[in-house]
Amino acid sequence: MEDHEILAKFQHPASRNLAFNQLVRKYQQKVYWHVRKMVIDHNDADDLTQDVFIKVWKHLENFRQDAQLFTWLYRIATNECLSFLQSKRRKFFLPINDVGAELTAKLEADPAIAGDEIELKLQRAILRLPDKQRLVFNLRYYDEMPYEQMAEVTGTSVGALKASYHHAVRKIEEYVTNADNPGYSSNKAD
Amino acid sequence: MKLSFHLDQHPRRGLQPLSSPPAGYFERLPTRVMAQVAAPTRRPLLPAWLLLAPAYVRTGLASTVLLGTFAASLWLGSGPASPPAALAPTLANVPQEQLLDYLTSDAHLTLLDLAELPAQHLATTQQYLHPSATELTEALDAQPAEEAALL
Repeated sequence: MEDHEILAKFQHPASRNLAFNQLVRKYQQKVYWHVRKMVIDHNDADDLTQDVFIKVWKHLENFRQDAQLFTWLYRIATNECLSFLQSKRRKFFLPINDVGAELTAKLEADPAIAGDEIELKLQRAILRLPDKQRLVFNLRYYDEMPYEQMAEVTGTSVGALKASYHHAVRKIEEYVTNADNPGYSSNKAD
Repeated sequence: MKLSFHLDQHPRRGLQPLSSPPAGYFERLPTRVMAQVAAPTRRPLLPAWLLLAPAYVRTGLASTVLLGTFAASLWLGSGPASPPAALAPTLANVPQEQLLDYLTSDAHLTLLDLAELPAQHLATTQQYLHPSATELTEALDAQPAEEAALL
């Protein structure tokens, strides 16, 4: 079902549930993986994905259609992820590195990564990026999202996004290159 | 010599680098989400014609209901203005002199008692209007002036 059909059917109480069910089925995987790449843990990603769609249900009626539906969904998912990570850091009054260490530990326990040393280093390097920069990196590198669409999702200019992505790539390459070097700093990239 | 890592040369492991969710997860997720958002169909509390009526009609109806409720509560809450029927003949049968003696006795009476009496028992007040000026003067002179209002 096309987005405009979903939105039209959602406006009518009789077809609202059907339309929303179609919307969830259409976008659930994209939303889930966008969230999962940020929070690593499946259970956290599951909770956040549901929260995203609950918010979509509450606000879809007022969606002005000044952006693509998918972009709007991604924006909600992005905000949920960033809020989740922020509250995680505040809740336990731990230094930032501890939340990063928790995510790293979950990453290292993931069976898809285990055994692949280079891939593990790459994922560790990505986790070391600040949350918003990591988000930009994921959207560009894994989702291959155009910068113009990314600008709508993040509310950041195209130029700033390009700069952020290139800096992220440089930091990742530097970390992976030097990761086996005993003298390499283990502090989080700025 | 240390080999530099170049991201564009690293084979990307698909779009999702992490392990897949449990089997059947995406088949169940829509149902789980719908269970949280879709409320059961309920009968509306208000009739449909009222919901469709213009605002001024609904405001007028609400005001009428409120005023009616207020009026009903006033009507139900108001007590009888006239004294109970059993008392009136009894007081009317008491001689005037006996009433004066009672009032001029040592029993303490406050202005409040005297103020309330005429309002509740109009027939008694009428009796006190009939005595002569001399009787009233003598009765009042015999009373101790305890309240400042009498001075």
